[in-house]
Amino acid sequence: MVRSRWFWRITFLSIPLLLYLVIVVGPLLYSFFFSLTDWNGFSYDFNFVGLDNFAKIFEDPLFGGAIKNTVIWMVAALTIPTLGGLALALALQTQLRGARLFKSLFYLPICLSLVVVGQIWIWIYQPRWGLLNLTLDSVGLMDVSRAWLASPETALASVIVAWGWQQTGLAMVIFLAGLTSVPTELLEAAQIDGANYRQSLVRVVIPLLQPATVVVIALAVINSLKSFDIVYIMTGGGPFHSSDTLAMMMYNESFKKYFMGYGSAISVVLFLIALVLIAFYFRQVRSLENLYD
Amino acid sequence: MTSLVRTAAAPQVADDDKVRRRLTLAALYLSLTIIVLLYSLPGLGVIISSFKTTEEISRGGLWSVPTHINFDNYGEAWNNGNVRTYVVNSFLVTIPATFGSILIGLLSGYVFSKLPFRGSEWLFVFVVAGMFFPPQIVLIPLFRLFNSIGLYDTLWPMIIVHTAFGLPICTLLMRNFFSAIPTALRDAAVIDGANEGQVLLRVFLPLSLPAVAVLATLQFTWIWNDFLWPLIFTQSDNMRTVMVGLVTLKGQYSVAWGVQGAMAIIASIPTLLIFVFFQRYFIQGMTLGAVKG
Repeated sequence: MVRSRWFWRITFLSIPLLLYLVIVVGPLLYSFFFSLTDWNGFSYDFNFVGLDNFAKIFEDPLFGGAIKNTVIWMVAALTIPTLGGLALALALQTQLRGARLFKSLFYLPICLSLVVVGQIWIWIYQPRWGLLNLTLDSVGLMDVSRAWLASPETALASVIVAWGWQQTGLAMVIFLAGLTSVPTELLEAAQIDGANYRQSLVRVVIPLLQPATVVVIALAVINSLKSFDIVYIMTGGGPFHSSDTLAMMMYNESFKKYFMGYGSAISVVLFLIALVLIAFYFRQVRSLENLYD
Repeated sequence: MTSLVRTAAAPQVADDDKVRRRLTLAALYLSLTIIVLLYSLPGLGVIISSFKTTEEISRGGLWSVPTHINFDNYGEAWNNGNVRTYVVNSFLVTIPATFGSILIGLLSGYVFSKLPFRGSEWLFVFVVAGMFFPPQIVLIPLFRLFNSIGLYDTLWPMIIVHTAFGLPICTLLMRNFFSAIPTALRDAAVIDGANEGQVLLRVFLPLSLPAVAVLATLQFTWIWNDFLWPLIFTQSDNMRTVMVGLVTLKGQYSVAWGVQGAMAIIASIPTLLIFVFFQRYFIQGMTLGAVKG
């Protein structure tokens, strides 16, 4: 009996784990290895350069800029979509007639590819025909209108807004799921005790939303580290690297300039940052099972 | 779901309370309508423009209401042989990778839930952790791997990588779903002489179809919308998937905004259909798998 159990464990786990080791874990370790080389992406051979790539990282002004932009991205992700999603969830969890339609419309961007989201927003920001400049011009704010994606001061913020458009719907989905687990009795009790809407919101609902909040925050932080697709489509990290994120810079160094060794070093730094954040996240949610129920 | 608003205002109230409630409701509706309109505006622009001729756009801009609906842009997009190739390629990648990832998730989820062993909890966390990391970490080693085994510029890398990267989320969802099914069901089947393979196939799989549906909508959407892997692993036009193709073709139609819009919509139709017809599963999956983003 025991032997047969092991037979099935091995049979069932062998393919999933083999694939996971070869495609995810192995390459991850290999990235550490490549970060110590000067591989150029074409030749089969490469030289070991020790920690040179890492030394270079900390002197590279582009890296400093990418770190700064990634942090800005995270902070923006933690505020705008999170608060927007929470507000929408609170408004839409009411038994409002038509709430389902409203919800669907807010959900909808989630099913779009970031490529399409980027495309949609490029049209908003288009200097001559874009809705943003047209609106600004029509209300007499000609001085404000500009080539949003081509100006170093506004490129990053413009991309983050487009990203946040999709992210808000996602945050709303999670907060709505969290709200269904707020017990009605607690709200009624608060009401009997004379609490008004604002009080029951701040004292009862928000504290009970903590698990959902942890997920939304983790999501915002992790997705910030992954921010690549939409940057690639909207600005490519430019102009003058003003909208470079870590993920974008890693791509440019590796697949545009073919500094694969240097690119690997950047990916190792990205990994270490992710590791710290994930460890923190796992500490917040004591066990994975309790997370989603 | 009990409404906060309704709970906050008790049913047996004086007339002016009733009036105030009505006003609150009206204000809520009004602000929601305005927000939803603003929120939909970016997407509407693309939809409207896709029905306008290039001349109409250059005359009235992107945001004017079309005088009549014409499908020329769709015709032109669809008759571009590349677009059809991209769409076919996307299906050729998405369908097998969706199946593959769910299959290995079923296998590993079953072991972690019903055949646990010493240390299997840790193995589970090790597998699930994979969904938190930015894909940039494995980009260079995988690029080298697929180059060296001759799969570069085929559809195989995307199928393999999406299957492997789907393992964490599929394992997490399947394990949690299986854990809610009594183990006695497995034990009974085993006493009746079934082996673990038969138990999974005949007893657990039929019961877990809702979870499979959630994963199918989720995985399909993610894989269809992916941009990074095909960007890295393919270079020739007949191996591009639709999201990369969209970006490639942008140059070709740089002034034909309507065609660009039509292509973006064509590329989004499969995931939009999933969203419309399987919204319940889709939203459930988004809540469960939110962290993957």
